[in-house]
Amino acid sequence: MKASPRVEKELIERCKAGDKKAFEVIVLHRQKRVFNLAYRMLGNLEEAKDLAQEVFISVFQSIEDLKEEIKFDAWLTQITLNHCRNRWKYLKRRQYFNSESLDDPIETEDGNMPKAIYDPSDNPETLYEKKSIQELIQRGLLRLKEDQRELLVLRDLQGFSYEEIGQLLRLPEGTIKSRLHRARMDLKEVLEKVAH
Amino acid sequence: MDCEKVRDRFSSLLEKELTTIEEKIIKEHLASCSECKRELAGFEKTMQWLHSTNEVDVPEGFLPELYKKMEERKKAFPVKKMGEEWFRFPLLLKLPAQAVAMVAIVFLVLYLTKTTPMENYRVKETLPEPSPLSTEKKPEERLLIPFESSRPKKSEPADVRSQEKEREQKPQEEQVEGEEKRTETPSEKTEVMAHRIESKDRVTATLPSPEHETIRKEGIAKQKSIPASKPLEEMVLRISDRVKAISQIHEIIKQFGGEMIRTEDQLLIVSLPTSSISEFKKELGGLSGVSQADALTPPQQDRVRLRAPSKPVREEVDERRRELAGKGTDEPRTVVRILLLE
Repeated sequence: MKASPRVEKELIERCKAGDKKAFEVIVLHRQKRVFNLAYRMLGNLEEAKDLAQEVFISVFQSIEDLKEEIKFDAWLTQITLNHCRNRWKYLKRRQYFNSESLDDPIETEDGNMPKAIYDPSDNPETLYEKKSIQELIQRGLLRLKEDQRELLVLRDLQGFSYEEIGQLLRLPEGTIKSRLHRARMDLKEVLEKVAH
Repeated sequence: MDCEKVRDRFSSLLEKELTTIEEKIIKEHLASCSECKRELAGFEKTMQWLHSTNEVDVPEGFLPELYKKMEERKKAFPVKKMGEEWFRFPLLLKLPAQAVAMVAIVFLVLYLTKTTPMENYRVKETLPEPSPLSTEKKPEERLLIPFESSRPKKSEPADVRSQEKEREQKPQEEQVEGEEKRTETPSEKTEVMAHRIESKDRVTATLPSPEHETIRKEGIAKQKSIPASKPLEEMVLRISDRVKAISQIHEIIKQFGGEMIRTEDQLLIVSLPTSSISEFKKELGGLSGVSQADALTPPQQDRVRLRAPSKPVREEVDERRRELAGKGTDEPRTVVRILLLE
């Protein structure tokens, strides 16, 4: 849920002045988006929650530096991506993901679930619960390179335009399209490996 | 179009970004290539799954927990640390600033050390001061190389040692000759020692201590008993050997018909006939440190002068001494305060 641009601008200005109520409104409007981006990038609900909270703390601390209120969303996404990259590096160093494989049980909102076996010929709605497919996708995303995951999450899960992604990642549109296609094909291969 | 190129266009085909001709070519290829067709089916399924993923709900208590964290941070860091802003600056700015600060510190230190009391003393030392101990010396030359003269020359210690050896070998000759030397120039050892006097000694010499003041008063009280005594005169004498110097001073006082009023640790109070004061000072000057002009003269010259004082001068001095000694005690007397510095 997002307010009109004028209201948004007013909220951001109030937040810059230290208004906690305005900050709360901003958090409520964007928490789901930030949390989901973090979850898709990290694949862990608890880590995603912590990271999303850190993102909003950073926003509150540095919102004074934001010059153009109209670019608040892009700025917020950039902060989230930076936090995600740092957190990913930290978790990778601690070999957080090394013990996991596609066959391991996967964490969901309701707890762990058994793996989903990929078969493109099957109808997913009939063979598996939708939730398990989502978790399988999540698992597949974590197998990809970080930059590929970013592209897939931003474009196919979060629905950013190529222009927005280009501004966020500072890449030309053509590069983004080709890299995104490569990421999609790699994800397909990862999911197919499970089936065979 | 080969299979690889067709597969590279799957995303464009899905997002309908291909031209009609390209789309037609790819569809034709897919109709004839079962492998590519299967690949496309798998790709479409993956994309379908990707797009079917729903957003996950934010866990409960997200906002209160966020506020709690913010409060904890606030408590942990109540105010911004002093240097926090500084650490945020890029190195590009910080490094030149640090370099400038370092240079400023160095200049400040140099400035401060230049104006320390020691330096002030050195500056004072270079100024010409009227030396009551040497009338033959040239204070102007002292100004030229003030620090050179304060360093003991390398050749000097050797000279001193040789002179000491000579003294040991000819003690009697030395006694007679030493007096003669003092009339011309002081001994080299005295000279060297005199130049080693540090500023501290100088300061104590120039500033009359309370102890000296009381001695001076006592001296004056004694002086009152002496008829027709003149106001007190002061002299500073630089010596290397105190005992020897005192004995020499005693002899000189006797020669000039004077008397020793009091002998303290570093202070001698002497009463002398007023007319012989100037001669007495000259004589004492021989015992004291030499002027800078003397110190600058080559050591060889000094040695020649010390070893062979001119005969007419020696005779003249002896004559003068006899004259002074012959005078009676009726003439006005002057009290001289002599401060000995080792």
